[in-house]
Amino acid sequence: MAYHSPYRTPPHINAPPDQSFLWNIFQRVDKDRSGVISDSELQQALSNGTWTPFNPVTVRSIISMFDRENKGGVNFNEFAGVWKYITDWQNIFRTYDRDNSGFIDRNELKQALTGFGYRLSDQFYSTLIEKFDRQRKGQVAFDDFIQCCIVLQRLTDVFRRYDTDQDGWIQVSYEQYLSMVFNVV
Amino acid sequence: MSFNYGQGYPRGGHPQQGNPYGGGQGAYGAYPSAPPGGGAGSSGGPYGAYGAPGYGGQYGHGPGGAPGGYGGNPYGGQPYGQPNRYNAPAGNIPPGVNPEAYQWFHSVDADRSGFINSKELKQALVNSNWSNFNDETCLMMINMFDKTRSGRVDLFGFSALWEYMQQWRAMFQQHDRDRSGSISGTELHQALTQMGYKLSPQFSEMLVQRFSGRGGSHGIQLDHFIQACTQLQSMTQVFRERDTGMTGNIRLSYEDFLTSAVTRLI
Repeated sequence: MAYHSPYRTPPHINAPPDQSFLWNIFQRVDKDRSGVISDSELQQALSNGTWTPFNPVTVRSIISMFDRENKGGVNFNEFAGVWKYITDWQNIFRTYDRDNSGFIDRNELKQALTGFGYRLSDQFYSTLIEKFDRQRKGQVAFDDFIQCCIVLQRLTDVFRRYDTDQDGWIQVSYEQYLSMVFNVV
Repeated sequence: MSFNYGQGYPRGGHPQQGNPYGGGQGAYGAYPSAPPGGGAGSSGGPYGAYGAPGYGGQYGHGPGGAPGGYGGNPYGGQPYGQPNRYNAPAGNIPPGVNPEAYQWFHSVDADRSGFINSKELKQALVNSNWSNFNDETCLMMINMFDKTRSGRVDLFGFSALWEYMQQWRAMFQQHDRDRSGSISGTELHQALTQMGYKLSPQFSEMLVQRFSGRGGSHGIQLDHFIQACTQLQSMTQVFRERDTGMTGNIRLSYEDFLTSAVTRLI
């Protein structure tokens, strides 16, 4: 998926944070001083801006993206990637959450995903809201927004692998279909 | 039986096996049948679809007896280790609620809210290696039995959830042939075959890889077993709905693929 941020971020936000700054954060998040930040440590450190616990499924998705040895957490080097990843999403989310409510509505979700290059029907947006609106507000919070984007991207990637002629249609067997979906969910 | 499912998905109507679609044509709304060949001898079964409104079957269950005889097993037996502590008066158990689930409910409902949420469930459930159940499986089961979409279950929902879990637990134990406490790829393949799925051994290996969690251990614990089997059933249903010609192959557009997968997410 052609990913391009639809706006320009101030340069200081995109500049890589320096190591001592990150190390400071890492130590505060790594509560048991194991040198590895676990799912629950990261979850406690993250805020979705709505006073509810950060979506554990999102936390798992993010950790697994950066956890190279499958150790169930991220070390300091990997944490730098996690930090950047979350900050990038935060910046994107903020441009759509104009009233700073911590939520984006259906229209804003559509704008965001359209900005990423997705072309999806209104009906599908209803499905997305239905599925990723964990707080049942008809809107999507920051943590659920990330999860929504991760899932969409993974599904799109796996679909593309099968859509060799790029016509938007695939033909798959039962087992192929199961493998496709199991690799994402 | 007249359809050719040989392409790789489960044959309906094996009389002694049941089938993974939750009872053939009656899948929607009928109470799911027992795990095929399950050793528990209990009624009710693990094949309820989840997350899809209107399927209904998994919730309002019939007069299913409690699966008996699980005492002293190593699989997550913690919560009913001390049922007597809570001393629930038997006369207060509402009709249709499993007595063991009733006692369990009050120990799991830590904040005495009258409801159990995913977090409380997670704290109460352990695998045979003493790890807590993973978040996804807890959330999945809560969502399956949460009729009000409030992220929690009441006593009745919990009773159904509890029985659902016990049935998978029995299935898990039955197929954990080497009593290792986890299910290997080979064991999973046997389990799926017995459930009526026609899937390759490689597919089971893939599932084990996908679900065996951290450390690359060579097997899946009970929580992931429940998650994998439930999702497998759900996705099979998706496939089957689209495979109207029963050929074992489907043609899918991009958005239909997305929808089919997203609506089945936990």
